[in-house]
Amino acid sequence: MPQISEAAVREAVREILAQMQLTAPAASPAAASAATPSDGAGVRMTIRDLGPAKAGTSPTEVVVALAPAFGDKLKMKTITGIPHAAVLREILAGIEEEGCTGRVVRFWHTSDVAFAGNAGAKLAGSGIAIGIQSRGTTVIHQRDLFPLQNLELFPQAPVIDLETYRSIGRNAARYAKGETPSPVKQKNDQMARPKYQAIAAVFHIRETSFVDRAKKPVDVEVRFA
Amino acid sequence: MKIAGVDIGNSTTEVALADVAVAGAPPRFLASSRVSTTGIKGTVANIPGVRRALEAAVERAGLKISDIDLVLLNEATPVIGDIAMETITETIITESSMIGHNPNSPGGLGIGVGETVRVGDLDIVAPGRAVIVVIPRSHDFERAASAIGAALGRGVDVQGAIVQGDDGVLIANRLSKVLPIVDEVHLIDQVPLGMLAAVEVADHGQSIQQLSNPYGIATLFQLTSQETAMIIPIAKALIGLRSAVVVRTPAGDVQTRRIPAGSLRLIGQHRTVVAPMDGGADAIMDALAQAAPLQDVAGEPGTNVGGMVERVRHTMSGVTGKPANTIAIRDVLAVDCLVPQRVAGGLAQEFSMENAVGLAAMVNTDKLLMEQLASALHREIGVPVELGGVEANMAILGTLTTPGIDVPLAILDLGAGSTDAAILQRGQPVRSMHLAGAGDMVTMLIQRELDLPGAPESDVAEQIKRHPLAKVESLFHIRHEDNSVRFFKEPLDPSLFGRVALITRDGLTPIPTHHPIDRIRTVRREAKRRVFVRNALRALSAVAPGGNIRALQFVAVVGGSGLDFEVARMLTDILAPHGIVIGTANIRGELGPINAVATGLVLSWVERATTGGGNG
Repeated sequence: MPQISEAAVREAVREILAQMQLTAPAASPAAASAATPSDGAGVRMTIRDLGPAKAGTSPTEVVVALAPAFGDKLKMKTITGIPHAAVLREILAGIEEEGCTGRVVRFWHTSDVAFAGNAGAKLAGSGIAIGIQSRGTTVIHQRDLFPLQNLELFPQAPVIDLETYRSIGRNAARYAKGETPSPVKQKNDQMARPKYQAIAAVFHIRETSFVDRAKKPVDVEVRFA
Repeated sequence: MKIAGVDIGNSTTEVALADVAVAGAPPRFLASSRVSTTGIKGTVANIPGVRRALEAAVERAGLKISDIDLVLLNEATPVIGDIAMETITETIITESSMIGHNPNSPGGLGIGVGETVRVGDLDIVAPGRAVIVVIPRSHDFERAASAIGAALGRGVDVQGAIVQGDDGVLIANRLSKVLPIVDEVHLIDQVPLGMLAAVEVADHGQSIQQLSNPYGIATLFQLTSQETAMIIPIAKALIGLRSAVVVRTPAGDVQTRRIPAGSLRLIGQHRTVVAPMDGGADAIMDALAQAAPLQDVAGEPGTNVGGMVERVRHTMSGVTGKPANTIAIRDVLAVDCLVPQRVAGGLAQEFSMENAVGLAAMVNTDKLLMEQLASALHREIGVPVELGGVEANMAILGTLTTPGIDVPLAILDLGAGSTDAAILQRGQPVRSMHLAGAGDMVTMLIQRELDLPGAPESDVAEQIKRHPLAKVESLFHIRHEDNSVRFFKEPLDPSLFGRVALITRDGLTPIPTHHPIDRIRTVRREAKRRVFVRNALRALSAVAPGGNIRALQFVAVVGGSGLDFEVARMLTDILAPHGIVIGTANIRGELGPINAVATGLVLSWVERATTGGGNG
C-alpha cells in the first residue's frame, strides 16, 4: 500500500495549478479581450452637475436617484468592489433597451435609499425611479407610495451583480410602460449579513457625511468612457 | 327532534340542521354549514370533514353534536372523476435553421439578408458583401455597435444582427443605419456560420410579413418551386411573431410532428369503437356517441393514453378496494386545447402552441362503501346514522324549495369531478345522468393553457376560475375586465402595482403571470364553455323526454359551481332561446345553489315519516 504523504499531495497540487495557469488564458481569450468583463473593471464615467432638478413630463422618463456619495466620491465602488460607473451604465442600458429614457438625478438631502428613490419617483415623468446608494443597495420606487414602501427592493448589496443591475433597469422601465414584469430574481446569501454588516455601516456613515439637508436635487449629466 | 342532513360531495361537505317538532309538521331549519370534503367521496376518509361540518352547524344553532337525534347521509352519486392531459403535436427544428421568438425588445426594423458572420470576424469581411452579424454575450453592446459601425464605414453591407444578450435596442440606438436585430438568442453558438440567413423585425404591435410567407422566403433565398414547398412549415411556425431569423442550411427543416399518443377503445353495449388520440377531442366524442351506451374504456397498452387510463383505474381501485380489472369507466369527456411547449432544437428557448387533448373519465363506484361509511360515522359521533336516499332525488327535493320553481324540473349539478343532471316529471320517478368532466377539468385547462404552476404547489388556476379579473393601473385605480374603472381613496398595496389581480372576497390578489388580462379572460371563459356548457347540454339532452332539450320547462343550477360568477349566465345564453327557464337555484329561498341535497335529505325523511305513519 503506497502511503499518500503530504509531500506527494503538495506536488500534485502544484502540478495542477501549473497546468491551470497554462490553460487559463488560452481557454478564454474572448473574456480577456472584452471591454467590459463581468466585474465592470475598466468602465469610467464623468459626472457633471446640470442644475436644479424639476419634475419631468415625459411618460418614458425613468429617474435614477443617486445618493450623495454615489459615483464621484469615496472609492466610487460598491461594497463588493463593482465600479459605480459600471453599475450606472447597466441600469441605464436596461432602461434604454426597453425604449425608455433614463434621467440621472443627484439627491443631497438624504442618504436613505428609500427616501431618495421616492423623491426621484416624484420627479420622474413616468412616476418610476431607481434609488441607489454608494454601497450598491437599490430600490425601484413609485411616486404614489410611501417612502418606506417600494415596488422592488434589493436590500443585500453584496449579492447584486451587474446582470442584476441591468434587470433592475429593465424592470423599472417595464413598470413605467404599464407592463407587469416578473420581479427581478434575487440571490440570497445568509453569510452576507455577518460578513458585510460592519462595512455596510461604514459605507452608510460615510455617505451620510455628505448629506446636506438644505441642498435641492440636481440633474446630472453622465458620460461613460 | 333534531335531524341533520349531510351531503358529501366531491369537494365540499354540506349540512342542513332542522328541528321536526311533531311528525308530519314541516321541518324548521336551524342552521347550515359547508366545509371542504376530506378524502375521496364515499370513503371513510370523509369522516373528519363530516364531523367538522356538523360541528359548524350545531355551533351556529347553539347546540352540541350529542343534541342531534339522527344524521341522514346521502347515498352519494356513485361516480368518481379523474382528469389527465396529453400533448399530441410537437415542433422540431433541425440544423438550427430557424429562430422564431418574441423577445421583449428586438432592435431596429425591417428585413435583411446576408451570410452569417461572427462579430469578431467582421474586420476581415470584404467590402460590398452582405452579412448578418452574430454577436455573443462576451461582446458588450458598445463594442458590438462600434464593430458594426466600423464595418459599415468600410463599405461592408451589414444587413442585420443576431444577438445573445438583451441588447437589441441598445445596439440599434448606436448605429447610423436602421437594421433588424433579433436578440435574446440564448444558444447563439449553434447559429450556423457562413450560411445565407434572413432577419426580420416588425414594428411595434405588428408581426413579421416576409418570413411568415412561403413566397417571401422563396424571394429572399431565390428558391425553386420544389424548395418552396419544403419551407411551408417554417413560414407557418413564424406567423404572428414580431421577429425571426431563417437560416438556409442544407437539410434544415421545421417539423410539426404528431406524437403517437395511442388510441382509446370505447367499449359500448352493442359495439366497440377505436378513436385515435391524435385525432383530437372531436374524434373521441364522435366515437363515444357511436359506442353509447358506454360500458368501459381501454387505452392502447404502451402508449401515453394507455398509461392515463390505467392510472385512473388504479386510483379508483385504491379508493374502492376492488381489483383494477373490475373498475369500469362509464363516461369520458375529451377537450381540445393548445398548450405552450418548448420547441425541440430551438436556439432562443422558443415556445410553440401545441395541440393537446384533455380527458376526464368517470368511474362507477359501489353503494356498499356508503354503508361502511355510515356505520363508521355512527361509531365516531355516537349518533344514529341512516342512508337517506339517492343523491339526485334529494337534490330535486331540495331544489323545489326555490321560490318560483315547479315540476317538470330538471336540475344541473356542476360539481368538481362530474356533471350530473336529473329530471322530475309528474307521476314519474326521477331520472338522472352522470357525466365525466366538471370544475376540476376547467381548472386543469386554465392551468395548462396559461402554463401556470399546478397543484399541489399552487392553486392559482383554481383561483382564476373562481374570481373576476382586474388590472391595477395605478395605486389609486383598477380597471375591471369589462373595462370599467374603479377608484380608491387609500393607496393600494405596492405589491399590486401594475399587476393583473383577482377580485376576491378578501380584496385584490395579484396573480403571478405575464399574460395580459384579455388572454386570461378568454382562456377562462373558453375552458368553462368547453366543459360546463358542453356537458350541461350533453346531460340535459340525456335526461330530457325523448332527448329533446326543448321539452324541459324549468332548469335550475345547483352545487358549488352554481356559485360561479359566469357559468349560469353562459348557460342562459345557450338555453334561453329554447324557451327554457334556466337559472341558479335558491335553496329555501336564502341559500343560493348550495345545500340542495342536505335540505332534500331532511325533507325526504319528514315526508317518509308522515306517509309511513311516523316511525321516526
